[in-house]
Amino acid sequence: MTAVLRFLAEQWRIIRADRLGMIGALIVGFALLVALLAPYIAPHDPWTSLRAADGRMAVLRPPSWEYLLGTTSLARDILSQMIWATRTTVAIGLVSGLISILIGANIGLIAGYYGGRIDEVLMRLTDIVYGMPFLPFVIVLIALFGRSISFVVLAIVVIVWRTSARVIRAQTLSLRERQFVTAARARGAGDLRIIYLHIMPNVLPLLLLYTAFNIAWAIITEASASFLGFGDPDLVTWGGILFDLWTSGRIRTAWWWFAPPALAIVVFVAALVFISRAYETVANPRLQER
Amino acid sequence: MGTYIARRLAHAALTLLAVATILFVLFRLMPGDPTAQVISPALDGAAQARLKAAFGLDRPLWQQYLIYLANVATLEWGQSFTTFEPVARIVADRMVNTLLLMSAGLAMAIGFGGALGMLMAWRRGGPLDIGATLAALVFQAAPPFVTGILLLMVLSYNLDLLPSAGMLTPGSKLFGLWEIVTSADFLSHLVLPTAAITVYYLATPMLIMRDSMLEVMGSDYVEFARAKGLSPAVVMVRHAARNALLGIVTVASLLLGFAIGGQVVVETVFSWPGMGKLMVEAATRHDYPVAQATFFMLATLVVGLNLLTDLSYGWLDPRIRTGHAR
Repeated sequence: MTAVLRFLAEQWRIIRADRLGMIGALIVGFALLVALLAPYIAPHDPWTSLRAADGRMAVLRPPSWEYLLGTTSLARDILSQMIWATRTTVAIGLVSGLISILIGANIGLIAGYYGGRIDEVLMRLTDIVYGMPFLPFVIVLIALFGRSISFVVLAIVVIVWRTSARVIRAQTLSLRERQFVTAARARGAGDLRIIYLHIMPNVLPLLLLYTAFNIAWAIITEASASFLGFGDPDLVTWGGILFDLWTSGRIRTAWWWFAPPALAIVVFVAALVFISRAYETVANPRLQER
Repeated sequence: MGTYIARRLAHAALTLLAVATILFVLFRLMPGDPTAQVISPALDGAAQARLKAAFGLDRPLWQQYLIYLANVATLEWGQSFTTFEPVARIVADRMVNTLLLMSAGLAMAIGFGGALGMLMAWRRGGPLDIGATLAALVFQAAPPFVTGILLLMVLSYNLDLLPSAGMLTPGSKLFGLWEIVTSADFLSHLVLPTAAITVYYLATPMLIMRDSMLEVMGSDYVEFARAKGLSPAVVMVRHAARNALLGIVTVASLLLGFAIGGQVVVETVFSWPGMGKLMVEAATRHDYPVAQATFFMLATLVVGLNLLTDLSYGWLDPRIRTGHAR
């Protein structure tokens, strides 16, 4: 428990040292809060068509005190949709970001540590995944297997680990020749112990940097797929709200329908980029003087 | 150099073989009838049986796989489920349109990004440096369909400065590639989608150029050129920038891998008649032959462009092609 606390305190120190990183952390924290509290803070059901006081459907209302962010062409409350969409989008980002860094880090560590034939095979595999166009792969997979959230996450995870694997492998290659690794081996430490207890702590800043990147990529890709009509039809996401707007044909007039999801995507992804920049200065101290 | 090229070519071929195999497997795993890969369920029984025999779908799986690979290699993708045209013919035109938009976007991103990065490094810590860094981070976070819609709303719908959709005005009488790409009509349609792509991909070459300029500017030979009394502009362009270009080539392959995704959404937002839009339409309508062909051609584009950057990098940096850097 104390080890976990110490780890968290260390991360907090790294992020706080960087002003943009701090802003990023606050934004991500706010999004997490909204995601957790969604059922309690959303004023309406995101799918219900609302009726105004005079009994008519509240279709395409601009922002007002009654509907803070306005309504859609199906008279749905955009604020409530945004709150629920934050929950699903952030969850998709976190789940696919974390699974993909788990895959990428392990492939990078194992390829870099063992080298030789194992490295060759794993890096050819990485090359093959680099040959897959990312978004088109997500689209094909969903077209074949159906518009469900699990295939969206699967398609993202299968591709997005590739960059982290390459970068972590390169770092591991240089670490494996260092004295502390040779010393550990001389003391009789096994391969797994060396990889996870001696090498991994040294690639940790890089690992966290790419965790932030992978989450950002997952969110951009999910938003793009949903915008193109390949999202899960049972869930509200930021990209899905934009898809509804695009297909409703109201894009010329309903700016209040466009602005919230568009801003949410940009601000949240920018926050992740800011956090990753804070780790970049730790992972690569040479950058600090720039 | 010969073995370096041969090895890169072999890797590229292997990657495409793997992509084709993954496609084959995915279509076998798909729920429902696997023959739906090439045979439209809309055809009558006799026509279905005829096509089944023509594509070898009545044979054992391993033979089907070999026939499939042969078909991929010869671009024999069958007929579209929706228009019943040969897929190869549909795809060929769209590929040209995609390449036109993509090369315009990437050229602008690398050109503008490189120039901006150079100026930022020259006035390090100045207002341009700080402002452009922040702007780049934010633009990088905006998916190209968001930027695209914003551009449409402001410049096309509200100010009515530029056309909002397509590659040419409907009913255009232009004919032949050269006549089209040099026409004012085509160029005015090109501006907005190119801008959406440029804004998104500007950040990477810009920041890389800035960093490698800073590195090069501290080196001995740049100090020496300055000491010789050359003007700062000459030193910057002729001595420092030339060496910093290497960094841009390195990142180009990274950029290209992601460029396809941006291409797909931008083509959809601006109704650009390219591969990306075709692929989205085909996937939505379950037109599998077209979806497969477009996916494979986009993969070929990625692999081909990666190969090109690998080769040019090997040509620029002798350490790579002799294998010392690996």
